[in-house]
Amino acid sequence: MNQLSVPAIPGPDRPVSVQFPGKRGEFLHLVARGALLELVTVGFYRFWLVTDMRRHLWSRTVVDGDAPEYTGRGRELLIGFLVAMAILVPIYLVYFLVGLEAERIQAFASIPLVAFLYVFGQFAIYRARRYRLSRTVWRGVRFWMSGSGWAYAFYAALWGTLVVLTLGLALPWRDAALERYKMKHSFYGDLQGRFEGSGWEFFKQGCWLWPAALIAIPLFPLLPFVYGLFKTIQWRWWMSGIRFGEVRFESTLESRVLIKLYWKVIGWSLLLSALFAAYLTLAAVLVGSTSGLSIAEAYTSPAFLQSIPFAVATVLGYIAMMLAFNVIFRLYLTRDFWAQAAMSISITGLAAAAGVAAKGDLAGALGEGFADGLDVGGM
Amino acid sequence: MQAEGESTSNGTGSGNSVFFDGMSSRKRFVDLSFATALEIREAGELIASWPYDDIRRADGTEGMLRAACEVGPSLARLEIRDRDLALELVKRCLHFDEHAVGRRGVAQIVGWSFAALASIAFLVMYGLPYAAERLTPLIPQSVEQRIGQAADKQVRIFFDDKICTDPKGQAAFVKLVTALRGAMGLETSVEAAVLGSDIPNAIALPGGKIYLFDGLLQKAENVDEVAGVLSHELGHVRNRDSMRNMIYTGGTSFLLGLLFGDVTGSGAVIFATRSLLDASSSRDVERSADGATVEAMHKLGRSPKPLGELLLRVTGKEGGEKDKAKGKDKGISASSLLSSHPLSEERLARMSQEDRPVTGAPLLTAEEWASLKAICGK
Repeated sequence: MNQLSVPAIPGPDRPVSVQFPGKRGEFLHLVARGALLELVTVGFYRFWLVTDMRRHLWSRTVVDGDAPEYTGRGRELLIGFLVAMAILVPIYLVYFLVGLEAERIQAFASIPLVAFLYVFGQFAIYRARRYRLSRTVWRGVRFWMSGSGWAYAFYAALWGTLVVLTLGLALPWRDAALERYKMKHSFYGDLQGRFEGSGWEFFKQGCWLWPAALIAIPLFPLLPFVYGLFKTIQWRWWMSGIRFGEVRFESTLESRVLIKLYWKVIGWSLLLSALFAAYLTLAAVLVGSTSGLSIAEAYTSPAFLQSIPFAVATVLGYIAMMLAFNVIFRLYLTRDFWAQAAMSISITGLAAAAGVAAKGDLAGALGEGFADGLDVGGM
Repeated sequence: MQAEGESTSNGTGSGNSVFFDGMSSRKRFVDLSFATALEIREAGELIASWPYDDIRRADGTEGMLRAACEVGPSLARLEIRDRDLALELVKRCLHFDEHAVGRRGVAQIVGWSFAALASIAFLVMYGLPYAAERLTPLIPQSVEQRIGQAADKQVRIFFDDKICTDPKGQAAFVKLVTALRGAMGLETSVEAAVLGSDIPNAIALPGGKIYLFDGLLQKAENVDEVAGVLSHELGHVRNRDSMRNMIYTGGTSFLLGLLFGDVTGSGAVIFATRSLLDASSSRDVERSADGATVEAMHKLGRSPKPLGELLLRVTGKEGGEKDKAKGKDKGISASSLLSSHPLSEERLARMSQEDRPVTGAPLLTAEEWASLKAICGK
């Protein structure tokens, strides 16, 4: 054990690169086991699985020799989900009744109500971020967040409208504005964060992708390339704008890394779909043969599509496929993306984070519950 | 450990372990000594003393043991990179891994999930049908009509507003509906119309609006067949089946959504499971509506049998070939258990049983029947 008895004395601006020594097999084992447990627990295990995934990723992301720690727990998420459900049910009921009245006046008039759910989803996203950040501890000091989820949801809704009206051209300014709000209210101990990236900068780097996307939509095999390029530009711009006091970040993530990941996921999805189709054919043949009819008759009978064993077989196969897909999704788009993105980061001015005093409280898991209930969750 | 060489932070002390006091992010190099409690010293000075029983594992990177203490600042962390020293510490801490979700913890989660699953399954199978049965009569007709109006607007848009209004056909249709409505003792608020769609179907909306599709009208060979269809739908209206179904469907969707959460990332499984559940309950509902047809047709002195004949004409034989002696029995028994609606043969059999000699006057004259057939101008 060769410990540093004399700390290195580098220049204050010497960049520190982030490392990710996590083992891929370990994570695969974690998500595969998690998927099986999700199946057995009809989904309730998801709270513990997402906690385990975060604990794995956080604790293997080494920043200047020290990995952060995720201190959230599955039980908190479960309680947050139950409370969120208790609040969401009456809201859904009111939503339903208002929608009904609107439909009576004009068919499909309730569609703008979706906008309400969008705003609520943004609120959930903010509060969920707050939960995750306040469960992130580095060097014995936690990150935390202030600010208002509703104010954020309001800004997000306004900017979202603008993005729709400008057919996506306002996106860089939306990202910058929302990121400014989030980072201004993010703290590491008593060190306040801020966001210095400008929408114009993002626009200059990414604007050529706007017509490219228009070309790629009809030629859909091009989409992963365009999306990968876009995500890379967005990520690098985002990283370079983040500040905590004098601490700054820079990322050298390359678009081919992301594009490769996307294609791997697409390849696996195609394979899984083919397997699912083969399984359905087999199930259909089996069910058809037990009904005592010839296969041609069984298929032409309208009763066949309503056959309960076939429906059960379909649902089971579908669940198995979705679980397998979740494993692949988590392995490539969560773990591999995380590892690649983390290793692309270099940090300067870390000395500013050396003597930070602890501050800030834990945030509740209600936001995560809402995000789960509204399907807007993230890592 | 490779990362250690890169450290830029100016840690203090000279020990071989790292300590964060949970109050500041300052990195302190400390020495450990195993006395009655774990003593943590920086440059010889005691800065913390952790009782062994309160020391817990925290998530660390590979090659590093990270520990926390239940007493004192909750975020204070000790990081030991020396393997022997780490083993030495773990040996002394009896509750070191107490916070880990072990096999027992997982078993507990699985157990509680089963309990939740059982309770939701019970609710879906017994609780909700009962609740829907009890709630439906409590919902005022006016509320149901509002829901119906909303559904009506959507149906009209879906079918391009193709309501057939040929005056002569309309007069015949109104006559037929009025006769049936009277026989079934329904209010005049129950409306009916013919939709210009080629699909052979008929639907009843909440609040009592009925649509007969032109596709089904064209397949009918006489008035009694159409009368059978309309009285079947009126039976749904009288039983308020749409309302009951809405309560049941809404409840099951919610409960199943609670269960599956984001496992699927979409409502597909919920939808599939729900249609299975709906199918099992709808057979009884359809039988009851068929009963309404039998009752209405008898009252009018007509036979319900033509409805069965029309259904069979539309769906074709569902139970398999008759001459396959072995396959027949097997086929019918298997399929009628599996499929969600009563088989057309089964329904025809029932209607035939209820067949009685015609005593009443024809519901429409031959001329009226011809105009009804031409209501959509075809």
